[in-house]
Amino acid sequence: MNKILLVNIEKPDQTTIAKYRERGGYKALEKALAMEPAAIIDEVKTSGLRGRGGAGFPTGMKWGFVPRNTGKPTYLLCNADESEPGTFKDRILMERDPHLLIEGMAIACFALGCHLSYIYLRGEYEFIAHTLQRALDEAYEAGILGPSVMGKDFALDLYLHLGQGAYICGEETSLIESLEGYRGYPRIKPPFPATHGFLASPTVVNNVETLCALPWIITNGAAAHAAIGTEKSKGTKLFSVSGHVNKPGVYEVDMGYPLLDFINNEAGGIPNGRMLKAVIPGGSSVPVLTAAECDGVLLDYESLLKAGSMLGSGGMIVLDDSTKMPEVLSVIADFYAHESCGQCTPCREGTGWAAKILRNLIAGKGKRTDIDLLLKIADMMEGKTICPLADADVMPIRSFVTKFRSEFEALSAN
Amino acid sequence: MPKFTINGIEVEAKEGQTIIQAAMAAGFDIPHYCYHPDLPIDGNCRMCLVEVEKMPKLPPSCTTVVTEGMVVRTNTDRVRQSVQGVLEFLLINHPVDCPVCDQAGECRLQDYYMVYGLHTSEIPLEMKVRKRKVIDLGPMVVLDQERCVLCSRCIRFFDNVTHTGEMQFFGRGDHVAIGTFEDRPLDNPYSGNVVDICPVGALTSRDFRFKCRVWFLHSTDSVCGGCSTGCNMRIDHRDGTIFRLLPRRNVEVNRSWLCDEGRLTYHELAAGDRISRPMMRGRDGMQAPVTWKEALASVNSRLKEIGAASGGNSIIGFASPSATNEALYLFKRYLNEQVGASQFEFRLDCEDRKATEKEDDILRHVDKHPNSMGAINLGLASQELGGINGAIEAARAGRIKAGVIVYYKPLVRRPGDAEAEARVAELIGSLEYSVVLAAHKAEWQREASALLPVTAWSEESGTYTNYQGRVQLAGKAVEPGGDILPLWEVLASLLYEGGDSVLWLSPDDVFRSMAENIPAYRGIALEQTRMLGALPTA
Amino acid sequence: MIQFSEEAMRRYETILSHYPAKRAALLPVLTLAQREFGWISQEVADYLSELMGYPPSDILSVATFYTMLHKKPVGKYHMEICRNVSCWLMGTYPCVDEIKRQLKIDVGEITADGKFSWNLTECLGSCGTAPAMQVGDRYYENLTPTRIVEIIEKLANE
Repeated sequence: MNKILLVNIEKPDQTTIAKYRERGGYKALEKALAMEPAAIIDEVKTSGLRGRGGAGFPTGMKWGFVPRNTGKPTYLLCNADESEPGTFKDRILMERDPHLLIEGMAIACFALGCHLSYIYLRGEYEFIAHTLQRALDEAYEAGILGPSVMGKDFALDLYLHLGQGAYICGEETSLIESLEGYRGYPRIKPPFPATHGFLASPTVVNNVETLCALPWIITNGAAAHAAIGTEKSKGTKLFSVSGHVNKPGVYEVDMGYPLLDFINNEAGGIPNGRMLKAVIPGGSSVPVLTAAECDGVLLDYESLLKAGSMLGSGGMIVLDDSTKMPEVLSVIADFYAHESCGQCTPCREGTGWAAKILRNLIAGKGKRTDIDLLLKIADMMEGKTICPLADADVMPIRSFVTKFRSEFEALSAN
Repeated sequence: MPKFTINGIEVEAKEGQTIIQAAMAAGFDIPHYCYHPDLPIDGNCRMCLVEVEKMPKLPPSCTTVVTEGMVVRTNTDRVRQSVQGVLEFLLINHPVDCPVCDQAGECRLQDYYMVYGLHTSEIPLEMKVRKRKVIDLGPMVVLDQERCVLCSRCIRFFDNVTHTGEMQFFGRGDHVAIGTFEDRPLDNPYSGNVVDICPVGALTSRDFRFKCRVWFLHSTDSVCGGCSTGCNMRIDHRDGTIFRLLPRRNVEVNRSWLCDEGRLTYHELAAGDRISRPMMRGRDGMQAPVTWKEALASVNSRLKEIGAASGGNSIIGFASPSATNEALYLFKRYLNEQVGASQFEFRLDCEDRKATEKEDDILRHVDKHPNSMGAINLGLASQELGGINGAIEAARAGRIKAGVIVYYKPLVRRPGDAEAEARVAELIGSLEYSVVLAAHKAEWQREASALLPVTAWSEESGTYTNYQGRVQLAGKAVEPGGDILPLWEVLASLLYEGGDSVLWLSPDDVFRSMAENIPAYRGIALEQTRMLGALPTA
Repeated sequence: MIQFSEEAMRRYETILSHYPAKRAALLPVLTLAQREFGWISQEVADYLSELMGYPPSDILSVATFYTMLHKKPVGKYHMEICRNVSCWLMGTYPCVDEIKRQLKIDVGEITADGKFSWNLTECLGSCGTAPAMQVGDRYYENLTPTRIVEIIEKLANE
């Protein structure tokens, strides 16, 4: 199994620049600074790296959309608004290896010609902000950030920006709105951030994990990265596993690693002799898989899609056979109702309505017709909104209700 | 100019137009709440989703720009289901209090429900999100948060038109509500517009609320009489009473807006007593009622006498910049051709300059008369007199002995109004013989030799020329009570009495004559003065 | 009339210097204001309106979008307990019950000494160490009712 991201995560004092450098840190940036920016972008394209925030969009291609010489500055924004239920992978990178992120961002900024960059960190992670800020201060002091990055004629300012509690700000246009000082309402696309992002300037938004993979790619070469994983899903992926497992935590595995092996080996299997009932493989927004459906599924974008779910953020929630599925769905539906920004109609009204129906069902006040009503609401929401939040509610609703329908019927029969 | 097809019909769009804009221009109706032609596009309501070939999802027609060869469908089952879904969503938390809602009859929720909805509510009452009702937001607007569809039109209006930003969203998810900070009153002179643009009953007019169900109202197209901007408006009235004034869209003049003062002008019009019949000063010095026939015959003969005795220079026609072009045209024609008068003036306080002076950056102009430009075009400003003060001076000096004075109180009041009226009274007082044509009773008329009651704004049809020189038709909405005649008709009667060669039967006749004889109006067809108004052909 | 302390004012200037557009500083400034004044009252919105030149409605509108910005007073230790899937599976509610038992306050209430308040919150990113809660810039993880008793006792004596 390859280690790209978590190589030094357990090592002592890794958060300090001294130890980070001692273990080879900032060598990749040094190497990148000697390259042509276009060559770095090509390298990232060849590496097959795809966005680790959830959408899986090829990173190099995203960078390639950024127009040059627009007369406007280009911005790189690091999406550290990790809020997808079940996801806690970016956190560990920032907590334990903050310089890895800074190095990754510096490489990206150099490649993109960006001189001002922000880490949009979810406000709840304030305790990580202290670690990150210390690392940023060290990097400025060491001349890695500032008017001349590592002595090169390239200026870079990197600031930390804290969110204040809004899941939607993980959506990139909402993140930009929020960073600009507004309510985090997702924007209508087109135009895309690549041309009209932060302050109407060309902008790239990349996830923490994506950026942290860059130093390794620069050091070891795109080919080495592309050699890991499957045909279309390259490299390694962090999975944060929680729920009914013996060893919850964050694990780095090669793309294409078998899902059930992951649960049984890395995550230590299901506790208390219970059986696997279902898995939410990529954060609460992706369709749930029944235990039977997990058979033969590999942890990569294509295999999970084929199985009817998605890799998402890699936030895996494992559910044993004691789990009451309608209750899990109710918790999830409450989440989306709470986090819907309220901007567009289907999501604002649909997420709230679905959540209420589920609460009613669980309280024993539901009607049999509520089950089909939930599916109807899912249809009414799907694909009709500005951003994917409504669809992120539709996927669990539809998959839970159809795959575990009898449990919902049992509730409404009472 | 991209061509595209919509429901199988080929339509040409303007470059950069969105589907909804091009479709509406071609006469297709696409249901919508948040889209408004004069506000930035927001795309939040999701009501206007349409089917476009080669696009997997239904794109919003308000944000999707038409491209060459695009194939759009608005009438498929998929689109219909989408619209129905959005409508059902909008109604789940709506209080459905139509019987006590003032928007009933012109509510987009009601309208679309009849076309697309007709579903039975699947949400029990106790599951609805409750919000606040009857929040007073100043003199113009009452807010009901429960009825709001959160389309953000009002927010965008205050953010982008008045730039005052009073109205905002608060909260998140299905608890989002619109409002002002601490329920503070809307403190800007355009606040009433948000009532018009609110597609539902969330923002209702404090002025109009509960006065009349809208389906009882009749509408007449008009032009605001409140200032020289000439905002296009619609008069809603019933049984001779005006209930409200609403903007009519004219991109060249007022877009979709009215100022609050203009919107409330009908109250000023209704305030105060009207002169209800012709009066003439008798030998005892007191004004006493006479018949129109007596009045017109007397006025005509007295004016002609004075004209014959003292010459045309001794008679002044002092016109009102609030009168219609048609009335002013006949006014001048009568005095000039029949009486021989050669002195004309209309300016009380530099209206010729103020007509083009902006009061703010949105709509209002400093000159509170609707037709100062018309008065200039018709040659009613005298270089020699330079305004009312010059006229008073000439009258005091005895150079001017008689005058015909038309004066309407401004429908938008300003501190200088009393001064202007005092000047008019002074002019009247300095004349040996004065004929006053007015609508409202007032102190300044006390010394008039003849006082003739005429219609005011909204009571006769005619054109006004705004600050741009745009000639716009204002229709007759209501009949005045009493023995009151339209100003143009009084003047037409005087012309008849005086022996004019033309028999003036309607304001339309007058307009046609103006279009032949007045350079600024040459070649304008009456039809052009409706809708967007007509600019003179250079 | 409230206003920033001298130190907060310096911090405010620093924040402004991090952004190419003043508006972008609004969220960090609201955070700073909450630290200064405890919560985002209408008075605070009015003050920030004057300070930054945006309508107070605009400021409050932004504040009401973000759940960490408090629109009413909270205790010195405001405990945000995660209610999302993994925490819920691992026992959010037994911990909530313990909090209620210990503090004798319901959600949204503040203890008489002004020290504690609590709320349920969405996923904190502590799913692997569930259940978890956030108190200011501290995370408390792997919670149990016993841990809750200890934590409250410790905080009460801080």
